[in-house]
Amino acid sequence: MLKPKQMSRLLIAASRDQMVPVITELYRHNLFHIEEFVDAGAEGYEGFKIGTPLPGASEKSADLIKIRAIANAISVRGDDIETAKPCSRAESRKRIEQELPVLEREVEDLTARRSKLDTRVKEFEQKIAEITPFVNVPADLDLYHGYKRFIVFAGFVSREVSLSVPSEMYLSKGKKKNFLVAIVPAEQRTEVEKALQEASFQPVPLPDESGAPQGRIDYYAGQISAFTQEIAEINQKLEGVKNSHADFLVACEEFLKAEVEQTEAPLRFATTKQTFVAEGWVPSEDVATIIQALERTAGGKIFVTELSVDYEHENVPVEYNNPSFATPTQVLMDVYSRPRYTEIDPTLMVSIVFPIFFGLILGDVGYGLILLVMAFGLRKFLKGEEGRQLLAVLRNASISSIFFGIIFSEFLGFPIPGWSPVLYSRHLMAAENGGHGPNIPELMVLSVWIGILHITLGRVLGMVNHARQDHGEHRMKAVLANFGWLLVMWGLIVAIWSVASVPLMPNLTGLPVIVAGLNLGIIIGVVLIVAGIVFIAQDSFLEVVEIPTIVSHVLSYARLVAVGLSSVAIAMVVNFMAITMFIEPQLNNLTIVGIFIIIAGIGVFIIGHALNTALGILGGGLHSIRLHYVEFFTKFYKGGGKKYVPFGMKRRFTED
Amino acid sequence: MAAEAVAVAATDLASVQASQLGMKALGAGIAVGLTGIGTGVAEMGIGSAAVGAVAEDKDMFGLALLFTVIPETIVIFGLVVALLLLFV
Repeated sequence: MLKPKQMSRLLIAASRDQMVPVITELYRHNLFHIEEFVDAGAEGYEGFKIGTPLPGASEKSADLIKIRAIANAISVRGDDIETAKPCSRAESRKRIEQELPVLEREVEDLTARRSKLDTRVKEFEQKIAEITPFVNVPADLDLYHGYKRFIVFAGFVSREVSLSVPSEMYLSKGKKKNFLVAIVPAEQRTEVEKALQEASFQPVPLPDESGAPQGRIDYYAGQISAFTQEIAEINQKLEGVKNSHADFLVACEEFLKAEVEQTEAPLRFATTKQTFVAEGWVPSEDVATIIQALERTAGGKIFVTELSVDYEHENVPVEYNNPSFATPTQVLMDVYSRPRYTEIDPTLMVSIVFPIFFGLILGDVGYGLILLVMAFGLRKFLKGEEGRQLLAVLRNASISSIFFGIIFSEFLGFPIPGWSPVLYSRHLMAAENGGHGPNIPELMVLSVWIGILHITLGRVLGMVNHARQDHGEHRMKAVLANFGWLLVMWGLIVAIWSVASVPLMPNLTGLPVIVAGLNLGIIIGVVLIVAGIVFIAQDSFLEVVEIPTIVSHVLSYARLVAVGLSSVAIAMVVNFMAITMFIEPQLNNLTIVGIFIIIAGIGVFIIGHALNTALGILGGGLHSIRLHYVEFFTKFYKGGGKKYVPFGMKRRFTED
Repeated sequence: MAAEAVAVAATDLASVQASQLGMKALGAGIAVGLTGIGTGVAEMGIGSAAVGAVAEDKDMFGLALLFTVIPETIVIFGLVVALLLLFV
């Protein structure tokens, strides 16, 4: 909690004949994050070379590519398939040897035939497009070619043309353009071209066909429909293949992927002619398990040891270590950046505060319920791990939204009947209806309070991080600078309290005046500010320029109220339009036209609230996460940790 | 005479109050509108650069989103001012 999983660095050395069992064992445990060996003559690694893949690597890769090509052609994805009963290793291997070539040929034949037909269809469609202009000309298509002393012109003209040379011409008038066909003697070509150009002549290609134009078009159209039918049949066959072989394909893909990863593992090891050395990271709690397992597999002919690590300077892979309810929030952390090994992992705090912010912004029982249904309904469609995590975040956020909806007494913008808001109201129009108006000043101050506390927490965490990560002179300075930021912020707050009375905040205006009309509070505030600036400046003088961000960052939390109120306002406007303007007047005096207006009103209601739900997700989600990313994380969080990717896989379709 | 003066004063007061309300509404509108434009102008450049960066490297998404929404604070300030004008 608040810290990534503790990692230990392992060094494995053994003779080459132990390579295969060691790799298999490591892969099975799915714990060892391989630190790739780079052939750069590192100390202690003189004479070592990058290893070569195990035998059979290229055949397995080729098979994997084949499987992926087939899976792609019939659009099978592992994510879409419910875990069937897993196949054993021997079974997978046997099926790959026997079924894969047959299946490959079948799918390849079908897809090749389909693409051939697709090309023919396109070709024939092109031909139809070419012939279509000639349909209105009462002449067979043979008449357009085969001349030696004549030239054929065919194309569109903008107006009627009369040719001064002896010619055979036909003009069919269209709505926008006229189609012209002219056969003229070859020697008068230039004159004709000139005359046609004046009528902005656009030539069309002459179809190389014979027979009546309409007849040809009918013929091609018939062919196309036959082809499309055949394509549909092929698609049906592919669908059949998909249904009968999808399980096999995903299982084989997984099996081969595992095989390929194992055969290629030596590329990441350091090897000599006789031995190999692998370094990597393992969660400290699993070190004993791994060492024991490896020694058992290699029959003692292996050297495994835990190396001492300089955690400050090594780039240690980071694996989150959070309680289960906070794990979905890791997806939001990864969007920003994974924490470094030595710094505080704020996932737990985000997982608690993010839903609260979301609920404060979108505090509405109705919208909360819609989002909750969405979070469960979309599970069918989003099957990847990240998708699942995002939906879990949405679920938590919507529960918080419902909770705050009850507090604010809101249901799709309406007040909940018989239930008045706890503490503060956000009902903008309630005052006109005789209720209590919105408590805007109180809500604003509340959000500023949240901001002050959140930022204070961020700065304190910043002090902890610097104390942990930095060394020597800089350590103290950095910690003091963070403290300085806190002093400036609280100094400003104390000074404001002493000058003006703010609702929901301590009132220090009554403190005794000390000097020149300034009371004790102001003086304390100014002292805090000056001390803070000194602390900031001793670390980095340029940072002093950033001091105004204290005000803007704290006030930025006002968005918790502002964005929330805008969402309430939209909901109320939609309700007003749909009910007061459309539905109510008609209900009082029902007519046939009135029924249509009522239906329109219901449409406005549904579209308006759908839009506001979308805006609510965007507004609530984006603004809450932004408050974390910009206002909170910038105080302490650096990120940039390396992801922990253990060597192995979570098997879903195959057995070990 | 006095009663008349009171009546005139009352109508004057009513019209002054109404006009004050209008001024407040105008001020609120201007606050949100201008800050909205400001945010838009500021996000224009950042947003296009951010999309470019994300197209190059998907891992930049979080950082790009963060940069893009930084000027959002401006319009929030406008909204805060408008709400304070209208409701406080």
